[in-house]
Amino acid sequence: MNQLWHRFKTSRILDDCPIYDMHGHWGSTPGIALPAAGEGVAHTLLRQMGVRRLVFCHHHALFSPDIGNDANIAAVRKMPDVLRAYMGVNPNYPEEIEKDLARFDEYPDVFVGFKFLSGYHQLPLEDPRNAPVWEFANARGLPVLMHTWSGPYNGYENVEAVAERYPDARLLCGHSLFGDWDRAIELANAFPNLYLELTAVLIERGHLERLHAGAGAQKLVFGTDFPWFSHSHGLGVLLGSGIDEEDCRTILYRNARRLLGE
Amino acid sequence: MLRQHGAVTTVDEYFRAMEGTDITRALLWHIAQRDAAPDAGNPLLSKAIAGDERALGCWTILPPQTDRDVMTPDLFERMAAEKIVALRAFPDMHRYQLNRVTFGPFLDEVTERRIPLLLSPRFGCDWPVLHPLLREFPNLTCVVCDVGVWGQDRNTWPLLVRFPNVYLDSSMVSLEAGGLEAAVRAWGAERLLFGAGFPYHSPHAAVLDLLHAGIGEAERERIAWGNAAALLGEAVISDKVRLR
Repeated sequence: MNQLWHRFKTSRILDDCPIYDMHGHWGSTPGIALPAAGEGVAHTLLRQMGVRRLVFCHHHALFSPDIGNDANIAAVRKMPDVLRAYMGVNPNYPEEIEKDLARFDEYPDVFVGFKFLSGYHQLPLEDPRNAPVWEFANARGLPVLMHTWSGPYNGYENVEAVAERYPDARLLCGHSLFGDWDRAIELANAFPNLYLELTAVLIERGHLERLHAGAGAQKLVFGTDFPWFSHSHGLGVLLGSGIDEEDCRTILYRNARRLLGE
Repeated sequence: MLRQHGAVTTVDEYFRAMEGTDITRALLWHIAQRDAAPDAGNPLLSKAIAGDERALGCWTILPPQTDRDVMTPDLFERMAAEKIVALRAFPDMHRYQLNRVTFGPFLDEVTERRIPLLLSPRFGCDWPVLHPLLREFPNLTCVVCDVGVWGQDRNTWPLLVRFPNVYLDSSMVSLEAGGLEAAVRAWGAERLLFGAGFPYHSPHAAVLDLLHAGIGEAERERIAWGNAAALLGEAVISDKVRLR
């Protein structure tokens, strides 16, 4: 077994192996009674596992334009040493996008990039209403986390279209096009600016191993969907997978640090 | 059937896959008990665990009216002889109603004997099956397995309030951030049994979740093995054998 496994078994926190979680959320959501929906519990869990960085988008920012990205700002400022946010983008509300982009630079301590949830918002990633965000991210080389899954909004063709069009943005395929594993690998190998993010991938055995074999550790980024999934779970899957220690480190924090410019 | 990543066929292979986890004993079932047929899968499991004291087994049940080769009159004696200490049911795959009409006297006896019945929403025993079943058999010892996120707690926790012999397999409860801690706070550690979810889920993740959960050491021990030992210790598999 990987030595990191044995060390993490006896210690929740390893100073030489920080956890960078590039796909998180915050707050309550309607379909589930999340134990860590409350800020106090979320803070405790993040401290307990020593998570060095959680980059998230608040559920409310994604699902309620009346709340919007203010929810992200408030959350980050209560735990500024750990939290950073993706600015949530809902192209059904282009007027909100315009306002949000105009204030992006006011919050360098909060926002590191953008989050698309196209399958839920039911407009494709390459929709013209998203273009201002893509152009902004492309011009600055910012990370863009996309919910990627099957369907007409954020599947293979949609991701391919934005990856071709915006070569300087850092594209993170959240959930790694869940289920469409071979074509996710194809995209990761075709586009230097595209990474596969592991949220939900880690629930079932075998998917991580397949992505690692096909795309390599340099193209995989650790994520949990926290507060949906626990960090100990994601860590256990990664360290128990048979992937060697150096590649585990690359997936757990090295790629994320590079993407975040840390 | 689809090929399952990392599936094993022997108890030795199973424990090799557990390397580094400190899992030393296991309650096992064979996928053929669901996907092929119980009359083929149950004996396959018995053969696999025979003579290996690390492993105990679950057999799959079927309606007693139709499947007399599986549900024989000496079922409980055979279970005791073959280290079968629990039961499983797959009503959707095997196309029957898991209720009093079909299983009345049989599940009354299972309840009396305190033999655990393991049911999984993942494998077709969803809440529209579980809720009425437990209303009809309120004292049934029932382990609900593979309960994870996506609102499943809203479906599951009411069962814990209402039915004292309902337990949860920990493997997917702990998948949720803070899930194990929340369940222990609400119900106490005694309602949780450690599960690895192998081969579908990572046993290393299940172990790390339990080791690092913000609960007391005594609670961790109970979930890891104490509750399972107590539950199986109460079961009277046959009139001649009481498991210890």
